[in-house]
Amino acid sequence: MPRIHLTPDLAALVEFDSVGSSVVRRSRRKGGGRKQKIRRFAGEFQHDREWLLRDVSTLIGAGESVAILGTPDSGREEFLRLAAGTLIPDEGRVLRREPLIPMINVIRALDRSYTFRQNIYIIGGLLGMTPNEVEMKVGSIAEEAEVAAKLDKYLGDAKPMIRQKLAWSICMAVDANAYAIDQIVVVGGEDYRAHCWERMEAKRAAGATFLLVSDEPDFLLRFCDRAIVLKDGGILVETSVEQGLAIVGELPGDERRTKRKEDDDDDVDEDEI
Amino acid sequence: MLVLRDLQKQYTKFRLGYLWTLLEPLGMSIVLWLVFSVLLSRQLGEQPYALFITVAILPWWWFTKGISQSTRAFKKNTNALAISLLPTELWVLRVILVSMAEFLLSLPIILLAMAFTRYVPGPLIVFYPVAIILQFLLMYGIGLLVASGVAVIPDLARIVRIVMRALFYLSPVLYSVSKIPHHIQSYASLNPMVGILGLYRIGFWPAEIERTINYVISFLVALVLIGVGLFVFRRLEPRILKED
Repeated sequence: MPRIHLTPDLAALVEFDSVGSSVVRRSRRKGGGRKQKIRRFAGEFQHDREWLLRDVSTLIGAGESVAILGTPDSGREEFLRLAAGTLIPDEGRVLRREPLIPMINVIRALDRSYTFRQNIYIIGGLLGMTPNEVEMKVGSIAEEAEVAAKLDKYLGDAKPMIRQKLAWSICMAVDANAYAIDQIVVVGGEDYRAHCWERMEAKRAAGATFLLVSDEPDFLLRFCDRAIVLKDGGILVETSVEQGLAIVGELPGDERRTKRKEDDDDDVDEDEI
Repeated sequence: MLVLRDLQKQYTKFRLGYLWTLLEPLGMSIVLWLVFSVLLSRQLGEQPYALFITVAILPWWWFTKGISQSTRAFKKNTNALAISLLPTELWVLRVILVSMAEFLLSLPIILLAMAFTRYVPGPLIVFYPVAIILQFLLMYGIGLLVASGVAVIPDLARIVRIVMRALFYLSPVLYSVSKIPHHIQSYASLNPMVGILGLYRIGFWPAEIERTINYVISFLVALVLIGVGLFVFRRLEPRILKED
């Protein structure tokens, strides 16, 4: 996190150079030997390294809108985080010319024990806005999120919808030219969605770059220029959005996708409690 | 600048509890004073003993709080870490600064103790701010070390708690360095808090100045720890970001 390093003379906006990112999973020690049993009894864990992404090399040019496709366990989110720099690769390197705004689960970063205004300051600050900048924009952010009336109320148990809108509005207020977005465009009613669209289209027309992960094919078809398909931690193919969607549709991981979606719903329920 | 914002936010939580920032260490000092001075009537430190304890216990409180909270600096904020474009160290810095603010706000207790004991510090009180800065540096180093260490060894948080408790008795909070037997005094000096607590006190009891070497050692240890902390932190930063 980044201390985000920028490489101003880079030709592409983001460059992945044989990037790998792994997690070390802890599992109970297995094996029946005496030694292993003792270690298991002592609560020791086994550490297995698992590569979420490996040997990923690609270029993303300025002004492109790229759909990152793949099953949910294909490392899509990690790809976005690596691009934005909120994850540091274990192998290879990621170079970027401009900062990317990581719109990844922003809703989770909201703190319910703070007021709406304070949340705007925190998230805005995390995304690289200066306090002065936030101060100037706080009004328009609140208006867009439709929370102007309760700006100084505590977030508390605000509905997921409201929080989602707030997160979205803050991200859109940042003066940036590139966004890495995970699932955020699923908010609100028809009117509100149309409004979000307009915002994004306007940004794109102004030359902004988008990296998108979404489970809404229609949206991707309409918005993105091309697609990168991830599979088993590597880039399967870089292709058009239509073809990419078709390829993903045939991948065996499709069931898991629906399962993940249910998981997400569960999360929302938790939030409501 | 964001740290300031953060602090301010943190304080909206604390505002209700500002009195607590005063009462907690105050109660602690009173209890310790009663036990060691009135009940045991031991000559552990300089007179007046009530003030002697208070002067050291406030910084100690800050030290313990800051360090034990920095074990959670990243864990508590994984969601924010996932989107933050700011340097990761800020989360540690923030924890230390928040506890420092609490410490500064609790300083009136010393005035209270001074009034109670009718004891006025001499000109060497100018070292008080120096001690604060020194302690801040020391804590930042340890905080970085501990905060990133937790990402690798989850048990570290518990270890830290135990070590802090042990350090409380190993550091001259309740007694003065001169009361330590001579042959172990030089080992005691290796504890950086020895020098820092001494600096807090020399304004009140100039006699504490005798062992200049302590101050040099604390300063060096603080510098080394910051170096080590930053180094370890850099090495572990990828792991820290992966926590979730």
